[in-house]
Amino acid sequence: MRRTIPLVLTFLVGMYPIFAFFVPHATVSGVNQWLDKALVIVAAFALPLGVVNLVGMNLEKIKQRRAGWPYAIVLLAGLAVMAYFGVIGVIKGDTGFHPTFEVLFESMVSPLQATMFSLLAFYVASAAYRAFRARNVEATILLVAAIIVMMGRIPFGDMLTGGRMTPLSEWIMNKPNAAAQRGIIIGAALGAASMSIRVILGIERTYLGKSRD
Amino acid sequence: MRRTCFSIFAVWILMMAPHLAYAQGSAPVAGLEAFDTPSDDGSSITLRWEAKGSGPVDVMRSTSRSGEYELVGEALAADQVFGDATVEEGVGYYYALASVTGGDTVMTDVTGPVAARSNWFRNARKNTMVATIVMFALVGVYVAIARRGKELYVRKIAGLNAIDEAVGRATEMGKKIFYIPGIMSLSEIQTIASLSILKYVSNLTAVYGTDIEVPNKDPLVFSAARETVRQAYMESGKPDQFKEDMVTYLTYDQFAYAASVTAKMVRERPATNFMIGSFFAESLILAETGQAAGAIQIAGTADVTQLPFFVTTCDYTLLGEELYAASAYLSREPVLLGSIKAQDAAKAILMAIMALGIVLLAFDTDIIVRLLKTR
Amino acid sequence: MNLKKLLYIDRRIIYLVVAIGALIPIIRPIGLPVVPTEPVIGLFDKLQSLSPGDAVIISYDYGPSSEPELNPMSAAILRHCFHRDIRVIIMAIFPLGGVNMAIRQLERVTGEFEDLEYGTDFVNLGYKDGGQAPMKAMAVSIREVFPNDVDGNDTASMPIMSKVQNYDDVKVVISLATGIIGEWWADLVNAQFDVPVAVGCTAVSAPKYYAFLRSNQMIAVLGGLRGASEYEELLRRNFEWAREVYSDPDEMKQSATTGMDVQSIIHVIIIAFIIFGNVMYFATGKEKGR
Repeated sequence: MRRTIPLVLTFLVGMYPIFAFFVPHATVSGVNQWLDKALVIVAAFALPLGVVNLVGMNLEKIKQRRAGWPYAIVLLAGLAVMAYFGVIGVIKGDTGFHPTFEVLFESMVSPLQATMFSLLAFYVASAAYRAFRARNVEATILLVAAIIVMMGRIPFGDMLTGGRMTPLSEWIMNKPNAAAQRGIIIGAALGAASMSIRVILGIERTYLGKSRD
Repeated sequence: MRRTCFSIFAVWILMMAPHLAYAQGSAPVAGLEAFDTPSDDGSSITLRWEAKGSGPVDVMRSTSRSGEYELVGEALAADQVFGDATVEEGVGYYYALASVTGGDTVMTDVTGPVAARSNWFRNARKNTMVATIVMFALVGVYVAIARRGKELYVRKIAGLNAIDEAVGRATEMGKKIFYIPGIMSLSEIQTIASLSILKYVSNLTAVYGTDIEVPNKDPLVFSAARETVRQAYMESGKPDQFKEDMVTYLTYDQFAYAASVTAKMVRERPATNFMIGSFFAESLILAETGQAAGAIQIAGTADVTQLPFFVTTCDYTLLGEELYAASAYLSREPVLLGSIKAQDAAKAILMAIMALGIVLLAFDTDIIVRLLKTR
Repeated sequence: MNLKKLLYIDRRIIYLVVAIGALIPIIRPIGLPVVPTEPVIGLFDKLQSLSPGDAVIISYDYGPSSEPELNPMSAAILRHCFHRDIRVIIMAIFPLGGVNMAIRQLERVTGEFEDLEYGTDFVNLGYKDGGQAPMKAMAVSIREVFPNDVDGNDTASMPIMSKVQNYDDVKVVISLATGIIGEWWADLVNAQFDVPVAVGCTAVSAPKYYAFLRSNQMIAVLGGLRGASEYEELLRRNFEWAREVYSDPDEMKQSATTGMDVQSIIHVIIIAFIIFGNVMYFATGKEKGR
């Protein structure tokens, strides 16, 4: 029973949107829209689960004075402050954003996110230096294509080659790149379809935490 | 001479007549017809007409032929089609188009009654229906073949073969394994595929007594991952070795999650990193930090934009469908392997159709293109 | 000299060189010329073909991490729309900051126009949770999905929304997207409801979207800073007002054209390192062969 109910639910909830994709009748689409809303609600209720775990773990870390415990205080303080001003803003504010929440978002969250994203520039440089070596034919083709596309994306490329670099770079993006991307997208889509059918039909059960027997 | 002038004048009159008639107040549209919009949920009626001129037209509607007409929308005469999505299912409506011509309001003939009805099938999706049935049928056929005991060949996937070696390395070095199941939720099929590999890895860590940590970005995935790891330890006969803080929830923010995980990698210097699931921009941050920390890295994703980053920084990468084949490949269960063969068969059929389409296009026949169009 | 040491340069040296390379054009802008390409011209031509009063949707599907790449293209597109009297319906599907991005961009651009009226010329519908679910529901009624705007005002009473019932009344959807959301608009809204879709995305996602562009599921792709700078260049080439706006030093600091200087230097540095690494690779190989 413990095993059967989740499998039956998975089958019904998995098959219904497939059915609704082909059947536009009002009664069918109504249920489908309800399912979409249900997914949003379930995901929203899962968030407190994660937050409870996060708070519990960090409180434990502070209690036991484990390595890095002062940072756990910083984490919990940040969580409490943002949550407080976020909720107050929704309850009281005209715009739904408390001024303090906006200041914290603009001056801390936003720059921190931009900084983390900017790390990619440095990591791309070190990864490219390490990986783009002409070890064999394929690696050499990759290397040459990468240099052409990189030069084609900046004005220097056209300045050095009399305007030829951008069209060449666009050709690589539009022809070999687009073809390869499509091949991988089609393969991945078929793989996703096959995996989804396995999950819906109950053949694949590892996501339930249980092996097949 | 007189006869010639009269002939010229008559011809001119005949040529100008339509325009003169228009100037005197005939509608710029004709042949109005209304019908239930096909393949919908009964909330729309479609109007179609011929354009005789240009300019705006008002769409007027009533529930009785001689009743009061209300304005339901505007269109241009040149559009020749209008969808009225404000109707009630089952109610009969009458339609006319009104336009202002030479100062007069001119109405077309009224058409109706027409009622919107819910339809039971989207005709434009016949091809998708056939493809869906074929896919299900292929899975059924190959699973049946597998159940009868026929051995099914699946080529070697280096990344999956390396999992045992990677776990063994961490065990020998006495260091941790990090398993990162992607940043999307359980609604993403890549995450489910990742959890099936997590199950396999957790079975190994339970048997060898290797330390594993699974940091999560999504709360639903955190719950599922914890159950997966707990179950793996129970099945391996080592339930007491499972600790709750093996699987943790960090944060829902993408880059805060990346910052937290990379900080852990730098501090704890894991021997092995698994990055399997759906990733976005943080993929290179995680992989490059792991590389700098000296870990052996096995990655897998179907996100084509992140594959290049994993390929350049990781020792093994599962590309797209290899990720979805993982649970079948690792378990070697015939039923699961059967579904992989079904996927391959579907791909072969698709490739044959595409090849045929390319050949036919060379002969100016686009029948395959039209067959594959989706709406 | 020990060539092997040069083959494996400490990554911190690479980071330092990249940092210096990024700083120089910020301190002393270069002003490199940009040539617009077909994927970007597609959106420019589409907006040029619209008539005053036509409506477009701009969906802010990105957060602070993608601001440097997507803010400039957002500002350029908004300016283009407002100068052509195109009605703009703003919304957000991205949960972590999409609506904040929209608010800030609108504040930045609408301040340049004296006669724009909120609710008539543009509206900010705010964020809607649920990912693809609201996108599907908007095919029936946009007002039902967004009964209120970002400030809680009733959308049914707004003149702009009285003319826009659903996707049939929208000429193009422009998604400024990070991650997978741009794809959702093409797969769902273009494929199922036949609405033209243009996507402005981070440079990382651009290669994938070329496949959608070639199969006409998207009418345009603006990839990263390069795409944004190309759009700014198109505006400068065609409109006097754009030349005035983008000659203002404060505006130039935030524009994609300035960002392209930094990107250009960084690309050159990366290429130089790659070439250097390969030279060392072959040199150490020859050394081994001796």
